[in-house]
Amino acid sequence: MAKRVLIVDDAIFMRNMIKDIFAGGGFEVVGEAANGLEAVEKFKELRPDLTTMDIVMPFKSGIEATREIIKQEPRAVIVMCSALGQESLVMEAIEAGASDFIVKPFKSEDVLAVVKKVLGGA
Amino acid sequence: MVSQDLQRYLGLFVSESTDKLQKLGQGLVRLEAAGRGEEPLAPIVDEMFRHAHSVKGMSASMELEGIKEIAHRAEGLLDHFRKTGDALDPASVDLLLAAVDAMTGMVERSGAGENPAAPAELLSRLDAGVARIHGGAAPAPPRPETPAPHRPTPAAEQVPLGLRRRYTIEVEVAGTCPVPAVRGFLVLKKLSALGAVLEATPAAEDLRAGRIPDRRVKALLESGEPPAAVEKALSQISDIATVQVKEEVHHPTPPPAVAATAQPREPEVGGRTVRVRVELLDSFLDAVGELILATARIREVGKSIPEAVRPALDEGVDRLQSAVKDLHDKVMTARMTPLALLTDRLPRVARDLARRVGKQVEVEVEGAEIEIDRAILDELADPLTHLVRNAVDHGLEPSHLRELSGKPATGRLSVSARRERDRVILDVVDDGRGMDPEALRQAAVARGAISAAAAAALSDRDALQLACLPGVSTADRVTDISGRGVGMDAVKRVVEAVGGALELVSVRGHGTRVSLRLPLTVAVQPVLLVRVGEEVLGLPIAKVHGAAQADTGALERSRGEPMLPYDGGLVPVRELSALLGLPRDAGSGPRQVVVADGDGARVGLAVDALLGQEEAVLKPLGRPLDLVSGLSAVTVLGNGRPVFILDVPRLGP
Amino acid sequence: MTGVDPVRHVLFRAGGERFALPLDSVREVVIPQSPFARVPRAGAAVRGAMNLRGRVVAVVDLAALVGVGSETLQAGRGQVVILDRDRRSLGLLVAQVFGVGPLRPDREEPPGSMVRGIGQIDGGAITLLDPDAVAAHSAAQFGQG
Repeated sequence: MAKRVLIVDDAIFMRNMIKDIFAGGGFEVVGEAANGLEAVEKFKELRPDLTTMDIVMPFKSGIEATREIIKQEPRAVIVMCSALGQESLVMEAIEAGASDFIVKPFKSEDVLAVVKKVLGGA
Repeated sequence: MVSQDLQRYLGLFVSESTDKLQKLGQGLVRLEAAGRGEEPLAPIVDEMFRHAHSVKGMSASMELEGIKEIAHRAEGLLDHFRKTGDALDPASVDLLLAAVDAMTGMVERSGAGENPAAPAELLSRLDAGVARIHGGAAPAPPRPETPAPHRPTPAAEQVPLGLRRRYTIEVEVAGTCPVPAVRGFLVLKKLSALGAVLEATPAAEDLRAGRIPDRRVKALLESGEPPAAVEKALSQISDIATVQVKEEVHHPTPPPAVAATAQPREPEVGGRTVRVRVELLDSFLDAVGELILATARIREVGKSIPEAVRPALDEGVDRLQSAVKDLHDKVMTARMTPLALLTDRLPRVARDLARRVGKQVEVEVEGAEIEIDRAILDELADPLTHLVRNAVDHGLEPSHLRELSGKPATGRLSVSARRERDRVILDVVDDGRGMDPEALRQAAVARGAISAAAAAALSDRDALQLACLPGVSTADRVTDISGRGVGMDAVKRVVEAVGGALELVSVRGHGTRVSLRLPLTVAVQPVLLVRVGEEVLGLPIAKVHGAAQADTGALERSRGEPMLPYDGGLVPVRELSALLGLPRDAGSGPRQVVVADGDGARVGLAVDALLGQEEAVLKPLGRPLDLVSGLSAVTVLGNGRPVFILDVPRLGP
Repeated sequence: MTGVDPVRHVLFRAGGERFALPLDSVREVVIPQSPFARVPRAGAAVRGAMNLRGRVVAVVDLAALVGVGSETLQAGRGQVVILDRDRRSLGLLVAQVFGVGPLRPDREEPPGSMVRGIGQIDGGAITLLDPDAVAAHSAAQFGQG
């Protein structure tokens, strides 16, 4: 069965791009969120196998959202979408429980490779 | 044809499955080591099973049925041995080798857009193989949904509760990762989820600050998890180039009776070791080389200062020199690497080739533990492979011919190394058809490498060495008749460039031995320095017969070349400047002529001046300088200037 | 989805023009010290072989290689850009390295060419070079005859 993915990013362009990558990689994109608040809500509702999380977002950052989601579900798999220059933020997110990260600009193969690995190799 | 949607993942599939197949192949070779008791069997089989399983999964998701069918059977075969713990029998090893090769080819073709079908013959052989090991029972490949790869080993399951294992873990972050420190941080985080990270280099604080020297993270982990679980956790992290997980020798708390009298033992280690990158070792050697040069330069300058202050300076320079020499020796020791790094893959090379050309070969490697300088080892990789291939391809006869001549059907190839004082002797011996000195004489004459008279004068033993002349061993038919293949000249050139020598001994009908006498360390060799115009060039003294002064314009000519009377014969004289395309001194006086060994025939090289002999550390040429023919190595003089060492036979006209 | 962000480049002048190589393809920049040894039968762009801390590096005149004239530098002037990874035995002679900066080609060239694209810096054009192609063209200057 296809793994279910939640995409969190405040830019529609980025969400669409990531969505295409996952759709092309045999995943099912079950939801999208445009900020940290929405992300926590959608996670509770959808219980995805995987969440991609932008770091810098309005209302609630990706780091905050990660912390809250992990508190609810310690086994949640969250992959941070970061850019160069955000190293310390990414490490903070890892502390908060993020499973892995990808660095923009990314190639679809790289994203899927990271995600496949983090989901257990399969 | 791979379907349109999957097309874009093809590259990834090809690279990953090629990698897995390669590792599967390596596993098969490691089995031989396991057979000798040098490595435990179970983890190798387990790993091979995993690789076969991955290839099956990947090819299935790419809808490449042919590859999947083979991978499925290979997995089934391996699963049997994984469960029983039996050693693989030769027939199964051969089957798996064939499967790996077939899949490798098919993966390559799938990369070009094909969807290759599995060869029916191979499938039925695999089916038969699986049936055979199951004692004739129907093949029982593992259920696809069993996530077998990471099942804890029985040993792990027996670990009593509360007993902790200690692992030393070293992870290298891939060079492509733009933020290696973050990767390293993630590694530590994942490890801490498995247990307690007792030590980490660099520490988390350093990683936070972006510090990760060499992109490596080392950690000491205490955990109740079995090794497979640790490896699995690490395998889920992306952008990792290499992972090493070593379980420390486990010393559980001793029983109470002993505990009363004995201290808990420290893990046994024979001197603490660290891993150093080869590059770093190279830079050490280069730096020491610079120190040697600088010392020589100070000594040189010292000669021009007043006598009164000389002794103090000389004493200082002497001390410096001995300290540098000591340092040099230590660096050289650190560079020593076992030959196993090269020889381990030779059995596979020989076996593969033998199978392709329909021969049988048994390979024996001895002395793989002998150590030699890393730089020499690197240079030897190609020549050694070449010698092994030659022996299988041209030396060994097909089985039916061997049996006709009363030999065992399976050919024997032995690669053995031994130390002889400051040399390593590396022998590659086959029991094949041997070489034909007469065929080599004819080929050498036909190629114009040697005159008919000179060829006739050679003893059979010397005639064999003709196989190392450029062009001779590549002559049509000679390959088959002489029992040697292409490129012996290339092998000889490399061996000589590192300061070694090559010798061929062969008995027709009985076999051939190629002996490489190699220096243990990067050689300091005597070279003759010559000047052409403003350039200085070096000739290995070993190749120089002598020198003479001659007015080349006044010499007798043969086919346009001046001939120098030398040592009772005539030697053709060539202008080194013309051979190299360099300017020479103006004027037309007598010339200095160096008589050198052009392999088989002597040649006179006319130069502007002889500068004398010097001990030089020869270095191999890096790309692109290695593309220049006629050069074998390079050295650096005391003044810091590079000097090329000439490869006389390949100077060419 | 690739290359939308600029990549850091080493910026230099050669033959009166400006060029750039990706930072990660460059190991170091050195000022040549000792005299070069001439390389036998090498192409016109080859300046010789140089000793770099005990290693011998082939030096190719970048301007001559890409065909924008050649450096008419006095001895002791100019800098050598040493390439990285498996190209460490190759150095490119340039007039002057003037910095490191982010660049993105405005215009891309077909693969295989030494020029990867044209970028802009301080309002002027700068030629982005492909290190692999430069190494390959350099290698073609050796062992010609």
